Amino acid sequence: MLFSMFLRSFFLQAGWNYERFQNLGFAFSLEPALRRIYPDGEKFKAALLRHLAIFNTQPYMASFVLGNIARIEEKAAGSASPEAELKYMPGVKQALASSFASIGDRIFWGRLKPMTVQLCLLVWAAGGFYGWLFTGVDAPVSAGLLLAGPLAGIFVYSAFSVYWRWKGLRAGYTCGGSAACALDSCDWPRQIKLLSTAGFAMSLAIVLLSFGLLAAANRGHVTWHGAALRLALPVMVLLVHRASRAYGRSVFFAAGVILAVSVLFFSLLGLEPFNLYL
Amino acid sequence: MTALFHAFVSAALAGLLNLDAVQAFQFLLSRPAFVGPVLGLLNGCPAEGAKIGVLLELLYIDFIPVGGVVPPNGTAAAAAGVLAHSAGGLPPSLAFFLGLAAGVVYSPVEYRLRAARSPWNVLVEAQVAAGDFNLRRWLASAMLTETLVMTLYVLAWAVAAAALRLLPGLTWLYPGTDFAYSLIPWLGLSGLYFRFRTQIYKKG
Repeated sequence: MLFSMFLRSFFLQAGWNYERFQNLGFAFSLEPALRRIYPDGEKFKAALLRHLAIFNTQPYMASFVLGNIARIEEKAAGSASPEAELKYMPGVKQALASSFASIGDRIFWGRLKPMTVQLCLLVWAAGGFYGWLFTGVDAPVSAGLLLAGPLAGIFVYSAFSVYWRWKGLRAGYTCGGSAACALDSCDWPRQIKLLSTAGFAMSLAIVLLSFGLLAAANRGHVTWHGAALRLALPVMVLLVHRASRAYGRSVFFAAGVILAVSVLFFSLLGLEPFNLYL
Repeated sequence: MTALFHAFVSAALAGLLNLDAVQAFQFLLSRPAFVGPVLGLLNGCPAEGAKIGVLLELLYIDFIPVGGVVPPNGTAAAAAGVLAHSAGGLPPSLAFFLGLAAGVVYSPVEYRLRAARSPWNVLVEAQVAAGDFNLRRWLASAMLTETLVMTLYVLAWAVAAAALRLLPGLTWLYPGTDFAYSLIPWLGLSGLYFRFRTQIYKKG
């Protein structure tokens, strides 16, 4: 039953809608448990309708709620007064969904996801592919290396997400019934802090590596002022991005500014274009 | 003819990979960093595909899909960008910026697709109340629709890119787009830096 729910949880957001968010996927994922708990057709129907109500959380962490709710339904089915058992279920479901959404968003969307790009860039750097930095260079590169970068990130990320989907389901099912169930299954603040630190360290390493590569690419080829200009341009880009963030604009605004200025100088005014590297 | 076939297959693959973004699995197979090199390999330009893909990824990590927010779509961006280069014949720099726009423009399309599913709730409830417990077909319909819409959307951008290339005198734009494209990695790296810096130095 748990394994079937686990497999179905991969489709939690398939029917995502603005009225009740993940409700269709939640009911679909819970269906194997409800079928086992309620062999009687009418009771099964009532239970399925109960879980078509509004539901929204971080998709990987939804399994904590799924396991918990399956346990509550099981207890209710075996109870002399199921109404009393089910009375607090919507509240528990809502409380857990909000708590786990907050944790999941920080861990997966806010930290692990950007770290997959960092892994990709580090794998490419280790393999000697810097085309992502020097966009005008057409050095030969193997397809295996090109795919190894993103796949490294995908593998690590998916291992985490699948682990938590399964662990969450089991933890929720084991301690089901309370609004604090499984919230202590991990030291979340410590994990979040660790991931932030690791991500920041990797960001710094990649930025420093990139500046080092830029300096190495220009070494011995340009004059001092030429080299200074080439190193100053990336810093200016960073400042444009910083300024756009300070004014509440997205990175696309900064990209638009860079494109507009470049087109103005090198297309409209006809200035002689130059490369950041020689 | 071969290019057309590759473009169609690429668009269909983008449609399938896009399911990973929200509707199924969420293993990050829909991210531009993966879609870019895969479609690049399929279209004979793996390195350009990888560059376009990862640069789009670096810009797109600025957006987090929390609380029902529909961020710009990375799959649409990478697929449209790679096809604008391989099938449309545009230089990678212009193809990249077209891809960037394609991802942003897909956001309202995705919003409408999600909003169109809201009335389903009443229908599903009526179906279950009538004793038909098959929820699978609703989810399958949603995924099929999303795949078809993404496929057609990517194809439309590939056609638009090919039409754009026919514009007389378009080449005057290339020096500007090439230079801007060479600065995009630094914009992406600054995004990566700020994403974690704000987490480390968060107040309170």
